[in-house]
Amino acid sequence: MLELVGVSHHYMARKNSFDHGLHHVLDNVSLCVMPGDTLGIVGRNGAGKTTMLRLMAGIIEPRQGLIRRRAGASCALLSLGLGFQDSLSGRDNALLSAMLQGVSKRDALASLDEIREFTELGDSFEEPVKTYSSGMRARLGFASGLLTRVDILLIDEVLSVGDAQFRDKALGAMQQRLGGEQTVVFVSHAEGQLKALCDRAVWIEQGQLRAEGAPEEVIAQYRQPVGAGGGSLQQS
Amino acid sequence: MTLSHYATLIDTMARLSLKADASRYFFGYIWWVLEPLLYVLVFYVVFELILQNRKEDFVVFLMCGQLAFVWFSKSLNQASRSILGSKGLVGRVDIPKSLFPLATIQEGLYKQAAVFLLLFVVLFAKGYTPSLVWGWLLPVMLVNYLLIVACSLFAAYLVCWVFDFHVFISMATIFLMFTSGVFWDPRDLDPAMTHWVLTLNPLAFLLDAYRQIMLADIAPNVVHLAIVGGIALLVALAGLFLLRRHSRFIALRVITS
Repeated sequence: MLELVGVSHHYMARKNSFDHGLHHVLDNVSLCVMPGDTLGIVGRNGAGKTTMLRLMAGIIEPRQGLIRRRAGASCALLSLGLGFQDSLSGRDNALLSAMLQGVSKRDALASLDEIREFTELGDSFEEPVKTYSSGMRARLGFASGLLTRVDILLIDEVLSVGDAQFRDKALGAMQQRLGGEQTVVFVSHAEGQLKALCDRAVWIEQGQLRAEGAPEEVIAQYRQPVGAGGGSLQQS
Repeated sequence: MTLSHYATLIDTMARLSLKADASRYFFGYIWWVLEPLLYVLVFYVVFELILQNRKEDFVVFLMCGQLAFVWFSKSLNQASRSILGSKGLVGRVDIPKSLFPLATIQEGLYKQAAVFLLLFVVLFAKGYTPSLVWGWLLPVMLVNYLLIVACSLFAAYLVCWVFDFHVFISMATIFLMFTSGVFWDPRDLDPAMTHWVLTLNPLAFLLDAYRQIMLADIAPNVVHLAIVGGIALLVALAGLFLLRRHSRFIALRVITS
């Protein structure tokens, strides 16, 4: 479904005028995601997880290496707080979000009530997003992403926020989708979620693939406090 | 993405943005007409009251040029920054980057419809009556629109490459305002200079065409109009091609800017 072959990525970001600071993000990463797979990615902040999801979604191109996606496979990246227009209502944002995902306007309009119901935002769904708390934004982002049918779902820590009740609901909805053909790549700092949802996990550290395998084993390796290597996960 | 979905998306983005914009201001949609009127007022105070310009019906003359010029300059300035300004969306979905400048231009187009309506009301009140020649307004507006699209797509592309370029765009708009005959008439210059101004500056040609049609009942030079329109169309297509070809590179520039 999705394959990364020797992917390396770096970019220029200026620190000062007339300067081209070079930032290395990923270094020779190869991995393969089969149809119906749920792959978890763990790693510390800044390890390159979000960049990897963006590469998978085809938003940016790797400097080296290849990314193969099954022809015609649609892809959606769910991330926190980004991409909302603050002055627009939750409803308008959900509409725009679905349409940008490739859903026709008619289908997008038809799915709005379902999205509203799933978010449990009630009347706030009609209020501008600028009045939302971060948990409410996460609800809106998750619902509008999940209810759009795509072949590959890339989830960037969306499930780490929100209250416990919504997290459980979102997790349940995810599990329901996972039973089918849904392919998911999932970045999270929540150990419980990773173990419950993923068939396989990888650990990324300083842009390199450090471990790959069953979620329990990878998480155990990641948590070992070896020098700068280990990280911490939330117990949930 | 199919062409019809692309077009619907541009329209939806523009409408939602108008709605968001209106909700931010106390006067909301009234600003669509209020803002251009204030522009005209500023020029009226300077040129008619302070400098005592003796041109006949100067306010009408000014409105015909100024309102079309503001359409061009505002669309260009906003569209050139539209891709960079949509960092959140660019980092989340792989979409054609031309959507952002085109949606911004579409938003300007809806506002401009209200502005032209205002202009017609003022012209009518001042005793100018529409004739068949006014039908030429449609092709002139179309070429004006194409010119906005052509300049905006290129500007948006360049601003993503080198952010410093947006300073240049603001400067260029000021330069154009002084050289396009917004508050002076190119036809008052000596004939050779009139010819050069109208030939070299497509915007000056368009502003003059608006005035010729609405104030003097004279049709524009069709060949000249077709050439300006044709070049604008080619440049706009080249801009679309560049934005499409370098879409992911632009995404990287925007995310890391």
